[in-house]
Amino acid sequence: MIDLYAAGPMEQFEIVKLIPLSLGSLDISFTNSALWMVIGVSVATAFFVFAARGRALIPGPLQSVAEIMYEFVADMVRGAIGSEGMKFFPYVFSLFIFILMSNLLGLFPTIPGAPHGLHTFTPTSHIIVTFTLAMLTISIVIVYGFYKNGLGFLKLFVPSGVPLWLLPLIVLIEFVSFLSRPLSLAIRLFANMLAGHIILKVFAGFIISLLGAGVAFGWISIFPFLGTIAITLLELLVAFLQAYVFAILTCIYLNDAVHAGHH
Amino acid sequence: MADDAGKQNPPSLDEFSKRLDAVRGDKTNAESSRAGSGQAMGRAFRVASELLAAMIVGVLLGLGADKFLGISPFGLLAGALVGFAAGVMNVARAMKNMHGDSSEGG
Repeated sequence: MIDLYAAGPMEQFEIVKLIPLSLGSLDISFTNSALWMVIGVSVATAFFVFAARGRALIPGPLQSVAEIMYEFVADMVRGAIGSEGMKFFPYVFSLFIFILMSNLLGLFPTIPGAPHGLHTFTPTSHIIVTFTLAMLTISIVIVYGFYKNGLGFLKLFVPSGVPLWLLPLIVLIEFVSFLSRPLSLAIRLFANMLAGHIILKVFAGFIISLLGAGVAFGWISIFPFLGTIAITLLELLVAFLQAYVFAILTCIYLNDAVHAGHH
Repeated sequence: MADDAGKQNPPSLDEFSKRLDAVRGDKTNAESSRAGSGQAMGRAFRVASELLAAMIVGVLLGLGADKFLGISPFGLLAGALVGFAAGVMNVARAMKNMHGDSSEGG
């Protein structure tokens, strides 16, 4: 813990087991990733419960923020799926808040000297987490699509107005395109968070290296310092934007399940 | 001049809602232009990941076909082509969605 600045840019993504658990041969340890998910969910729950406790007709500042978030997601769902899509609102809202909280809380700097297991951690910077969220979305799309439309859901793969001889190829391409959806959802969120945190760490590392280089070069460290501030602000934007993109694409894919055949 | 009219008799509801709409329109325009650069980067990332994901899926399907049907390397070749085609279609669809969004006013 003394060697604070020797950490490489990838060390922040290390998974540390906090409470080792196992189910048979399956490792289900409570890790730092799980800890930060729990923190994210707790913060979100506490915020919404606290903000809504007044139930005022004319909302106070906190209640306003909560209502704006609600309206924001509700408009997104209504805009993409229509009012019959509001049955998916709880799912999309939970997804949006969970990703937003994971992204934002991961931006907090670690308290210097904290044990490794308690370092600030961004669960969404691991592709397995984002891929699980993406598979959850696609599973809902597939299950609800077949439940609502029966085999008519397969019309999703057959665009209208295609000549018959071209149809096998088009269906194959559409099928690959459909399979690529969870992957593209997962890669986008994970790559954004990973890249942002690495850049932040590398730029911050420059400051320390330059300061260590003596008086002659030390003053240059003001530039990476300004850069770090700018990137932190950019990362705040990216954290919100990626949560929004994930949620809006979930809505667009759910729309395929609700309105199959209106492609 | 508008102030004079306002003092003499309160503005009608129609007039008021017109003025409110004008102010609201200004606000949404300003917001959309300010969010412009951030949104552009989000779009770029979206397009890139759509293309990449479809190609990965295509190549993996092709490799799977190679392995289970024993037709190496034609499965990989066909898979890469189909994956690329699907990726381009994904990108085209994403762009269409984005234009739809912006013309609706967002």
